[in-house]
Amino acid sequence: MRPAAPLWVLLPALVLLPVLALLPGISHGGGWELVGQFAAAALRPSLDPLVLGSVLGGLAVTAGIALLGWAASLALGLVLGIASSRVVWRSCCGSAAPAGWIRRLLALPRSIHELLWGLLLLQLVGLQPAVAVVAIAIPFGALVARVVSDLLDALPTASLEALRSGGAPAPAALLTALGPPLLPQVISYSGYRLECALRSATLLGVFGLGGLGTELRLTLQSLAFPELWTGLWLLLAVMLLLEALLGWLRRRWAMPARLGLRQGSVGRQGQEMVAVALALLPVLAVVAWRLEVRPAGLLQWQGLPPLGPADWGAVTALPWPALVGHTLLLTLTAAALAVGLAPLLLVVVAPWRAGGWLVRGLWALGRLWPPPLTALLLLFVLQPGVLTGALALGFHNLGILGRLLLEAAETSGVPQQQALAAAGTGPRLALLYGRFSGLARPYLSYGAYRADVILRESVVVGLVGATGLGSQLLEALSSFAADQLLALVLAYALLTLLGEDLSDRARLWLLETPHGDGHPQEAGGAWR
Amino acid sequence: MQSSPGLAQDPPLTPLLSLQTITVRGRNQPRLDGVSLQLEPGERVALLGPSGAGKSTLLAVANGLLTPDQGQVLWQGEPRAHGVRARRRQQARIGTLWQDLRLIEELTVQQNLNAARLAVWGWPRALLNLLLPLDTAACAAVLQRLDLDPALLHQPVSALSGGQRQRVALARLLRQEPLLLLADEPLASLDPRLAADLLTLLLELASPPRALLLSLHRPDLLGGFDRVVGLRAGRLVFDQPSASLKPAQLEELYAGSGPP
Repeated sequence: MRPAAPLWVLLPALVLLPVLALLPGISHGGGWELVGQFAAAALRPSLDPLVLGSVLGGLAVTAGIALLGWAASLALGLVLGIASSRVVWRSCCGSAAPAGWIRRLLALPRSIHELLWGLLLLQLVGLQPAVAVVAIAIPFGALVARVVSDLLDALPTASLEALRSGGAPAPAALLTALGPPLLPQVISYSGYRLECALRSATLLGVFGLGGLGTELRLTLQSLAFPELWTGLWLLLAVMLLLEALLGWLRRRWAMPARLGLRQGSVGRQGQEMVAVALALLPVLAVVAWRLEVRPAGLLQWQGLPPLGPADWGAVTALPWPALVGHTLLLTLTAAALAVGLAPLLLVVVAPWRAGGWLVRGLWALGRLWPPPLTALLLLFVLQPGVLTGALALGFHNLGILGRLLLEAAETSGVPQQQALAAAGTGPRLALLYGRFSGLARPYLSYGAYRADVILRESVVVGLVGATGLGSQLLEALSSFAADQLLALVLAYALLTLLGEDLSDRARLWLLETPHGDGHPQEAGGAWR
Repeated sequence: MQSSPGLAQDPPLTPLLSLQTITVRGRNQPRLDGVSLQLEPGERVALLGPSGAGKSTLLAVANGLLTPDQGQVLWQGEPRAHGVRARRRQQARIGTLWQDLRLIEELTVQQNLNAARLAVWGWPRALLNLLLPLDTAACAAVLQRLDLDPALLHQPVSALSGGQRQRVALARLLRQEPLLLLADEPLASLDPRLAADLLTLLLELASPPRALLLSLHRPDLLGGFDRVVGLRAGRLVFDQPSASLKPAQLEELYAGSGPP
């Protein structure tokens, strides 16, 4: 008895059963009135010029941080990616071994969430705009590096070998043979990174690193819901605009879609791409100047409070098994909620056009709304804990996965769905059988990757307490317990690396079979 | 209007499908302009016409995928139902053989065959079909009817050969138990021998009370059909017994559009 493809997609939604069973136990019901006020305020956001001015200012800072962090991560990632590519080392020096070493080195910065980088830097150099930019640039850069090197190593090498055997020097041959096929994939991926950077910049703001996030958190905590919604609606508008613009560019330049089952002709209009890239440079300079980002400021370390002698006894006395267990439980619950709910909701609303738009709207809010804010909102009616954190993280990732699933469903399985509908099958079953059959493997393998991201992200809901390593980490940070901090960061990094390895294996396994259409680079990381 | 010669002396039958002055304003598909067509039980009708004439549009109106802008579709003498469920029940009796077959690659042959029953099955059986082999006897029977080995039932469709897929698609059509068979250029991408085999099979399956409406590009294969209908630029050009079709009519139908 082996479940068929369309069932796989729905199976993760079974996590709803335990979640719904446990919810009554952790709800305290005190704040339903507040939740009602919050929801009602959505329709009448504050239009006070003062509020609007401060929200727009915050939004500009957030967008600026996102843009700078993104650009820095791309530059960093391209250089490091080329430096950690096996093909490059093999053609330049005859041995691929150094690529492996650099890859291993890059795993550490990648495994630590941008929020942790931000909070660590904050302690070292004090509050300044450059902190958030660097906090985004470090892990994103390491991630881009991994993707670039995976893409490079997955490219066919026939033309490279032809050029090399013709006597071309290694750098020229690499550039000519691998540059053109690499560029559109990197550009398409970098567009997606910009969306991520906007979300991250908002999140960093929630923790006081500047921009709109700070205002969102303050207005939420002071229950100023109309002002909160002013910020949310504007952020939503910016995010949807950005997504629409990037989607348009992706189609215009014939870029591979992230969950595309088949790659069409890739990459047209190269000159236009280069022109856009060049036009970005002065924009970046102006943004950096307006935000007063000064790289030199990063070198002026502030005096740390005197550190006590390391108390390794206290470190080992931490409840490690519980911390790790809670972190994993949180991750798996949130991942299953996100992965399972997206297709389930699509199936449920399939007969109604309005339902489809409602779901899209819900997902847009999920993407936009930083998980710690969702968690704070949930605390109005739920007790702090793993489940509350999982719901917040699950909602956020549902927004991301759902959008991806919709994008992919638009191009996959349409004829099959039509055929079923023509034979009188209801819209829900036609969707399930017709479209989800082909999507199951790529969607779930993306879900496996997402679970790995959620593990890294679990630190951001640490502030709702008792969620495992994340909350312990934030506690160690605020109490300047450097010894605990070090141990916890290392434990986190180790766990994330293990998780990454597991999710890579799961993805390879899912894409391995003949009809998975699995390009090796899909398994490797074009989706990261 | 027309009824097939063999049935002319019978008491007036309710037509299986009756399309009355159907107009479709082309947006995403070729247009139709006031086309009327009736199909009696047991009739085998060929639909001819150059590409872009509206053959696929007409078939989409017939199987209910497309709602015409004007005109009426009667199924067994009744207007097409407005209620969602009643309409699905009507559509369940109309089976379509698609040119690209539209099998679900990731599912087994048996699951694909059972997918033809989804219109009448509820959710529990639909989900169970994805978990367990259901209705094995009925599925094996349709496979055998098409000279396929019942051992294929547990194979994924992606593992089948081209000829096997063609027959599995036909088996799925049978499993749907339709009264009307529609086929949109099923012979187009087949080599001559396979095409002839498939046509023979389709004509054989369309025994009373079933009817067949098939669009094709090959006037040389009209032998087994009772009636032939010509469509050009969305209009009905002729509708007559296939035996009385003259070469001049064909020439006129395809004029300016290259060899048929």
